[in-house]
Amino acid sequence: MPLACPTNLDVQQLRAEISSLYARVLDQPDGQYHFHRGPAYAVEFLGYEPGELARLPDEVTRVFAGIGNPLKMGRINAGETVVDIGCGAGTDLLLAAYQIGPAGRAIGVDMTPSMLDFARAAAKRSNLHQVELRPGDATSLPVETASADIVLSNGVLNLVPEKDKALQEMRRVLKPGGRVQIADITLDIELSEDAHADIDLWTG
Amino acid sequence: MRAFSAYGFADVAIRDRFDCFRGTSKERTARRYGVHGVNLSARKA
Repeated sequence: MPLACPTNLDVQQLRAEISSLYARVLDQPDGQYHFHRGPAYAVEFLGYEPGELARLPDEVTRVFAGIGNPLKMGRINAGETVVDIGCGAGTDLLLAAYQIGPAGRAIGVDMTPSMLDFARAAAKRSNLHQVELRPGDATSLPVETASADIVLSNGVLNLVPEKDKALQEMRRVLKPGGRVQIADITLDIELSEDAHADIDLWTG
Repeated sequence: MRAFSAYGFADVAIRDRFDCFRGTSKERTARRYGVHGVNLSARKA
């Protein structure tokens, strides 16, 4: 089943624009964007638990821009290893870190350097020493083979043209029987070739 | 879901749906293409 988008899409340009967009969210969280942000959205639209979000630094949840709620599908066990692909500022990553506790590992991967720095600082302020931040993207995860109990992502796979590589990487890093809990977008209709190649549609 | 199954995942399921673009500047585009957020779970087979 071919999953790479059959287009002349400039993948490097797309990655640069996505990275720039989300870096801007960090700098200007109250700016104009095509997606909702913040803790009220997370609670009202996506079913996040207000009490759990309240444990996180305000500046983290303020820039939350997920499109679903991966952690709603089941709690993560203490001591497990979690990989959050495209962890952004760290809302899901830090929530997962609380669930796994100090004996677990929460590895956040993101391609935007400012997001990594932001999430790393937030984890440190929260005394979540089980959190690691690593530069990378969904098609080449900087994670050991068969090392993860669970893979999370929230709104990332739809932004990756090479979905075949992303799925192969998710499978590679998971232990046998390991779980995927991801949130993403789906479309009810098939897009035209022109729409596939339109970066504005990819990035909003 | 077929893609996950094809790449070696089992028990693939869409668990929740979210109208995540409601009230945004892209609400009309989302409605046009039937775009919505989903929660999806699966297990490495």
